[in-house]
Amino acid sequence: MKTPRASIIIPTHDRPDRLRRAIASAFAASKDVEVIVVDDASADETAQLCASIAGIKYVRAERNQGVAGARNLGLVASRGEFISFLDDDDLRLPNSLDDQIEALSRSPAAMLCYAQAIPEDQTGKQGPPFPDACRQGDIFWDLLKGNFIPCGSVVFRRRCISSAGLLDDSISRIDDWDFWLRVTELFPVIGLKTPVLVWRAPARNSRQGSSETVEVIELAIKHFRRNCRRMPRVARASRRQRQQSWRAFSMNLADHLAWETFRSLCAADFSRAWVCARTLFKLHPGVLVHLTWRWTRASTIKTFIAGQHEPEGMKIRFKEIRSIPDT
Amino acid sequence: MPRVSVIIPTHNRPARLPQAAASAGAAGHDVEIIVVDDASTDETAEVCQTLAGIRYVRIERNQGVAGARNVGIFESTAPYIAFLDDDDLRLPGSLDLQADALDQNSDAGFVCGAMIMADQNHQPTGEIIRPRHAGGDAFWELLELDFPVMPLSALIRKECLLRVGLLNRQVTTIDDWDIFTRIAEIHPVLTMQEPVGSYRRPTPDSAQGSSARASQLRLAARHQRRLFLLPRAAALTWKQRGAIRRRTIDRVCETLAWSTVNEHLPARRLRAALENIGAALALDPAFALRAGFRHKTAQKLRREFRSA
Repeated sequence: MKTPRASIIIPTHDRPDRLRRAIASAFAASKDVEVIVVDDASADETAQLCASIAGIKYVRAERNQGVAGARNLGLVASRGEFISFLDDDDLRLPNSLDDQIEALSRSPAAMLCYAQAIPEDQTGKQGPPFPDACRQGDIFWDLLKGNFIPCGSVVFRRRCISSAGLLDDSISRIDDWDFWLRVTELFPVIGLKTPVLVWRAPARNSRQGSSETVEVIELAIKHFRRNCRRMPRVARASRRQRQQSWRAFSMNLADHLAWETFRSLCAADFSRAWVCARTLFKLHPGVLVHLTWRWTRASTIKTFIAGQHEPEGMKIRFKEIRSIPDT
Repeated sequence: MPRVSVIIPTHNRPARLPQAAASAGAAGHDVEIIVVDDASTDETAEVCQTLAGIRYVRIERNQGVAGARNVGIFESTAPYIAFLDDDDLRLPGSLDLQADALDQNSDAGFVCGAMIMADQNHQPTGEIIRPRHAGGDAFWELLELDFPVMPLSALIRKECLLRVGLLNRQVTTIDDWDIFTRIAEIHPVLTMQEPVGSYRRPTPDSAQGSSARASQLRLAARHQRRLFLLPRAAALTWKQRGAIRRRTIDRVCETLAWSTVNEHLPARRLRAALENIGAALALDPAFALRAGFRHKTAQKLRREFRSA
């Protein structure tokens, strides 16, 4: 049995409608790739669908594992030297994986390569690719301020897993951020300024998506306080640097929460606004003063009223923690 | 492709590692030995360099036993997986024996053998712990802590791990119980009476081992509530679940009380004794009043007094 060069892991759960396209795009992304579909205890026709697609490796978890657990199962089933995750509603661009592997092969010290993603809303309208600046090398401190790496755009070497451990399945949905942190703490990375992925944004007005946002933010705060501060590199850093990264991180989340509150108020959804506001005040009681100043200065409110646009940098709604590029 | 992967997680304890790795190599014909070094800060890496025929995997940040075992599973290529602690031994031929058993029963999730108890120098004490189950559906016995399975005595089918998920890092001292229970929920279990491993008892003098045991049992009692969410347990009525819970807590309390009365009190280890009693009382405030425990304690004390 020949070992493939790359493995693409697609976790899926009860969402077969777009899965076929995702799988096809994964096959087109590289010449030598194995596609592993991890069916996380789906109750619908996902199994039949996967049985009808030739060439994929189908792993079925009989008990629901969550995204991170499913990705871990995919990792165990994978054999490729380079590994990439793909969500079941996202699309890989053709040959993008080979390009990234090429970049990784050119610099043996780099363990991970990320690139840009093109956001696409439910109607199929595409936005400009993000993140704007694809920083290279040691991006640990940048990443600590917020996750700017689109999960599906990452290709990493197999050794990342054995050096940094598998994904943490107790923090599904921020598991990717946690893993990138652990990898970037140890190794330099490559950032390519080319789009490799079409990232499907969750439905903008769905209530569920928004309450999920608050949950994810709360989880991220807890994770930062408990685990990130104990990472050897953070623990060894100066007090000033630690404070700086916490401030940037909490401001990043506060921006999201404030925006979410504002939007819920505009939509006259007061319970949601209350939940967001509560989390916001718990995060940082004095944050309102800062935000008001920052938002007025950035004249974001003006643009919002004039053109009904979201402020610059908040175009990206996140499924996992998507950070705002620094304003 | 090798037939069995033996995963040896290790952390800052290189002294007995070569012996464990050698025993794994002798335990089967086509064995892949994966030593997972869980961020050791001592000479473990150098010791592993000298060992022939192993694969050395180093994790840079400490993951705990369960996390290290998971990395071992990730690195493994064989269809069967055995876990071996760095201070225990596998008996010669035992992996082949168990792999044959799994070959013959293609739906079995794992096979559990017997264990030889040994002292600090791996001299057998004569005690052999055999699996207390005839095989087949062992889910309820595992859930009730009635059928203890040690990772040393088991060989697991990797495919089944993919079905139920990897080891749970959240419960790192009882991750073995957790995974065996989850496998047994959907797969039958094989048992064999032949000894397959030699288990080194922790030093009886160190109170550490026993207080770890108390917290382990407490954690197990707490974690059982999560295992009740598994579909087969969730389908029970609350009355049936209550009965399982009752029996488990009784069993845990009895174990704690037994080790207090028989091991700690005679050795005058008051702290460990108090910890055990505290753990038992936290689980079941009325356990001291139960007839069984009272009689046993009274008997024991009487014997102590007579011998004194």
